[in-house]
Amino acid sequence: MRDEHIKATLDGAPLDTLGEDELAAVRSHAAQCKECARALEAARVSLLLLKERAAAGVEPSPFFQTRVLAALRERQSANEAWSLGRLWRAAGVLFSTMAATVAALAALTFVVPQPSATPQEVASAGRAYTAEDVILEQAEQPDDQMSYGQVLTTLYDTDEDAGR
Amino acid sequence: MRLARAGDESAFAEMVRRYSPRVFRVAARFFRRREQVEEVAQEVFLKAFTQLEGFEGRGSLEGWLARIAANTCLNMLRSARRRPELTASDLTEDEAAWLDNKLAGVAGERHRSAERAVVAADLTDRVFETMTPEDRLVLMLIDGEDASVKDVAELTGWSESNVKVRAFRARRRMREAVERLLARGERNRSERFKSAGER
Repeated sequence: MRDEHIKATLDGAPLDTLGEDELAAVRSHAAQCKECARALEAARVSLLLLKERAAAGVEPSPFFQTRVLAALRERQSANEAWSLGRLWRAAGVLFSTMAATVAALAALTFVVPQPSATPQEVASAGRAYTAEDVILEQAEQPDDQMSYGQVLTTLYDTDEDAGR
Repeated sequence: MRLARAGDESAFAEMVRRYSPRVFRVAARFFRRREQVEEVAQEVFLKAFTQLEGFEGRGSLEGWLARIAANTCLNMLRSARRRPELTASDLTEDEAAWLDNKLAGVAGERHRSAERAVVAADLTDRVFETMTPEDRLVLMLIDGEDASVKDVAELTGWSESNVKVRAFRARRRMREAVERLLARGERNRSERFKSAGER
């Protein structure tokens, strides 16, 4: 040890846990090596600092329990409020979706033009006529739909047949 | 424990009363101001309340709470900025005097007072500010409180070999930081002595 530096020993374990032999070897080396003497001094001071720091504890105050319970209640009520808020937001989203769906359906029904009809539909549409059309057509056209010439021909033919 | 897990507030209150000294002890290794320690301890119990269902009862409840406390403190300190290095000029007069006394070999016990203890703890915190939270924890536990490597491994969840390696490195960092402080302090003193002699 005398010829070896002692830094690894100093860093390997707390100074107060070194055995008598180890400590003696460390001291004898430090007596001859300035660098290790400084390291030993620093290790000694470090240990003192850590012991002092460990001794500086903080005890719980008598009100700590009350403080924790109050914080717990506060956090729980905040969580509940947050849950309600989330429920409210979810309801809003649902309502918006429904409104959008209704609007889309209305647009499809009234605004967007009907798709082009199939040939059968065209054919049936050609034959289709409304009650109004029927009445008008009935009013415009004579019952027998015969031309004036045809009427005369029919009348004269009838008279000639009767003369014979 | 069963009642607290079911959300019984009075059972939880009893849990806080019984285990707060242990949680405070863990938090005080990282923080020194009472408000900080209380804040951390409160956060630990609130976390514990929400995570009680996850506690499988393999170890003790006290150990489980201590682990939550250690992790909470480590996380809080990880987010804090570290100082690059502490120099002798950063020290207060009291801190410099404390170091002088130690260097002069004045027996600690004889001159020990509450005030000196506070100065020493302040100085330690200043050195700690240059170190990682993990280094601080391992040094506080093993060197400061004589905890075993196994105790630290249980508290932190690190392997024992990891604890040993961390402790070795942390001890070296702290020793080197203190060594630099002592060297600069000595240099400052000799300069002051020289200039006083010239006058």
